Amino acid sequence: MAKYHNKLQKNRRFEAVSPTGEVIEIQEKSIRKHHKFSTGDKVFFVLDYIFFIVFTISCIFPFYYLFINTISDAGLVSKGMINFIPRGLNIDNYLALRNVSDLGNSILVSVGRTILGTALMVMASAFVGYLMTQEEMWKRKFFYRFLVITMYFNAGLIPWYLNMVMLGLTNNFAAYIIPGIVAPYNIILVKTYIESIPGELEESAFIDGASHFTVFRKIIWPLSMPILATIAIFGAVGNWNSFQDSLILMSDASHLYTLQHRLYIYLNQTNNLSNVMNSSTGGGTALNYAQNGQIIKYTISMVSIIPILLVYPFMQRYFEEGIMLGAVKG
Amino acid sequence: MSKKSEEIIIPEIETEDTEQIFEPGHGINDKLQVEPSLVHQAHDYKKDEDTVATYKIDHATKVALETGTAPVAKKKEKVKEPAGPIFAVQRIAALFMFFLIFVPTMNPARVSALVNKNLSLFTSAVSYPALTGDVGRGFRAGWIDEGSFVLLYIGAIIATLGIIALAAGACMSLGNNKLKRLSFIFSIAGAAVHLVGLVVIAISYGQFADARKQDKVGAEFPTSLIVFGVLAVIIIATTVLAFLIVPKPEKGEKFEMETKFKLFLMFLPFAILTFVFCYLPLWGWRVSFFDYSVGDTLSMDKWVGFKWFKHLFENAATRRDLLHVMRNTLAMSGLGILTSWLPLAFAVLLTEISNTKFRRFVQTFTTIPNFISWILVYTIAIAIFAPEGFINSMTGGSTNYLMGDNFTWLKMLAWGTWKGIGWSAIIYIAGISGIDRQLYDAAHVDGANRFQRIWNVTLPGLIPTYMVMLLLGIAGMLSNGLDQYLVFSNASNLEHMQVLDLYVYKLGIEGGAYPLSVVIGMAKSLISVALLFMANSVSKMVRKESII
Repeated sequence: MAKYHNKLQKNRRFEAVSPTGEVIEIQEKSIRKHHKFSTGDKVFFVLDYIFFIVFTISCIFPFYYLFINTISDAGLVSKGMINFIPRGLNIDNYLALRNVSDLGNSILVSVGRTILGTALMVMASAFVGYLMTQEEMWKRKFFYRFLVITMYFNAGLIPWYLNMVMLGLTNNFAAYIIPGIVAPYNIILVKTYIESIPGELEESAFIDGASHFTVFRKIIWPLSMPILATIAIFGAVGNWNSFQDSLILMSDASHLYTLQHRLYIYLNQTNNLSNVMNSSTGGGTALNYAQNGQIIKYTISMVSIIPILLVYPFMQRYFEEGIMLGAVKG
Repeated sequence: MSKKSEEIIIPEIETEDTEQIFEPGHGINDKLQVEPSLVHQAHDYKKDEDTVATYKIDHATKVALETGTAPVAKKKEKVKEPAGPIFAVQRIAALFMFFLIFVPTMNPARVSALVNKNLSLFTSAVSYPALTGDVGRGFRAGWIDEGSFVLLYIGAIIATLGIIALAAGACMSLGNNKLKRLSFIFSIAGAAVHLVGLVVIAISYGQFADARKQDKVGAEFPTSLIVFGVLAVIIIATTVLAFLIVPKPEKGEKFEMETKFKLFLMFLPFAILTFVFCYLPLWGWRVSFFDYSVGDTLSMDKWVGFKWFKHLFENAATRRDLLHVMRNTLAMSGLGILTSWLPLAFAVLLTEISNTKFRRFVQTFTTIPNFISWILVYTIAIAIFAPEGFINSMTGGSTNYLMGDNFTWLKMLAWGTWKGIGWSAIIYIAGISGIDRQLYDAAHVDGANRFQRIWNVTLPGLIPTYMVMLLLGIAGMLSNGLDQYLVFSNASNLEHMQVLDLYVYKLGIEGGAYPLSVVIGMAKSLISVALLFMANSVSKMVRKESII
């Protein structure tokens, strides 16, 4: 870049020497209108497009493939006939999920932790982020570092586990919620955002006698909605996808397994899933169509992917803002 | 880009600067140091020290107000708290007690084996059903009188209420003298009530100990009872001392607290949470010096010193395992670092396409894999590569591409890249859009072709961002993450799949070898921090900017 920076300078100098302004204009137009592609450019574009088309298909097709297999005729699926076009459309597989033992419970747990965990995390991040902008706070810098350090250092898996055992947070739904309330990274994002809000708003409120709580509720909270939406969406995806805590902490409480954990278990049972279903009550006709355990696994996967796929297009803006803000702390 | 990236990376430093200027009280002093002539003038005006001081402050405030350099600087002389150290002891004791009521291993209400050992004092006090658990049968069989449990429950409630009161007292003691007076009442009363609660618990313990069926009841004196008792006594003692030292409030004084302490108290619950979940686990490192297995209590007779540290190097099997694990870890991270330029290339190639809709489409769909969990990625892997998956139904074969140990590292790299590349590219795409268009025009004028423009304009603009990512990648070299390797590993490929995180998980959580896995985890944490600092100092040296 430096090299061309110099060139740019040279160019300007040249412009300055040139007798009339016209020359410069013509020159600039010629740059803009230069659309003639060389052969090299053409080859490049063709390859470029091909690459992105292929790669994008590789990102879409697996989901599509999973989906068409879950809505097609089970007989055709088991013969491997459903590859590109769904045939014999039905939703029996989805109906059959009612008979998969414990699945409903896991969905409840996942939904519960996603909603509750995200809501508490967002509120806490907003409030702590606000407090961290208050320079008056006692030992503010110390506490800020106290928070930030935890992002770069952790004691390790086993000490974390032993700590959770000591706190009684094993086989306990609270283990999904409480540890996630304080999220240092999100606090930094919120703090940085709040710092960009003009301080006069706060100051004038304080002069009018507002308390910190009031300022937070009436001014900071509504104004930092964009960043809060961003961290909420990240938090929700994280909660929905998390499975390590369920795997490690809920060993004796299978009713508290998250959906991902449940799916992991099903994936590891090679052919037992149809047994799980048969043993549960009320199979009915739906079950007969869905004997294939593999397809049920796909169906469960679809159930856990669909919320993300549904939310994603609306939230993409926030996701992207999120990563740009992530660059804030480098 | 360069301008934007600077803006993005340094806001922290800017605030630190402003802080120094705007810190209440500081502004005034700075002003005075800058203008010594004023002090002289003041000295000439009057010799009396007090008057000089007032003059200084007034003038400085006026200057500050006029120039707008300091926001309404309050006149505030720093009062040294007379009973400071005493309050410190009292507050720490109160904080500690408040923390302990949530720790099951420190539950004084666990007077018998009948009480669930995962119960904290707080839970015992909140929920009677939780406290009795499934002792119902015990009541009917006459192991223990239900009255004893009720007494225990009452004791737990009283003890908990006492702690809440004394914790409130400790918070109030940050206020002015009038508020401090109130805090004494809370502290003393709270501690006394707490002691009463402990006595009630002790009485109920007596009843448990007297029960005939000791093999069922298993009464044991909770040692935490003594800890709580001692702490309560400390609080009473410090409160009395503080009461003697702190002056009486002036007449008409209102309950007040300085803003800085108010803000601190608002933050306190979050500080406690952070401490409990991020710092307290460090306490678990002590396990590495003991012979510890699940459910044990640590006592000195299990102390083994550096046995497990030596074990790492002296035990041939462990050493071999570790070498394997380190080879895998470094190989996968190394591959990751070697291919860390891929997102950059992805971004560059994508931005060369001028069709906005197409670009948008690609960007949307290539970022989706980043938001699904590794388990779902594994489902996809099954759907495509398993014997009954897509590939086999296309070729008519029945190979299971997920089994076997061929090219395991490369396969894992491929999955990681597939999942992450679209997402990682976003930051570079944004970087490219921040590059000054004039640079491209200038390059064009010079007759640079597409590749020369990419090479000489785009890439130099992205290098700073890439450096940050690369250094962070190097700093995180030992952390490959658990999920991916856990879901993709199977008996046939474990040899090349076992990375450090997976090894620690299998050794500790699945195998129950806590001390050894803690030792390994400790080494990992410390090396990671060292790497991070190295990366940071490299960054400071090369880019004059820190990455953390």
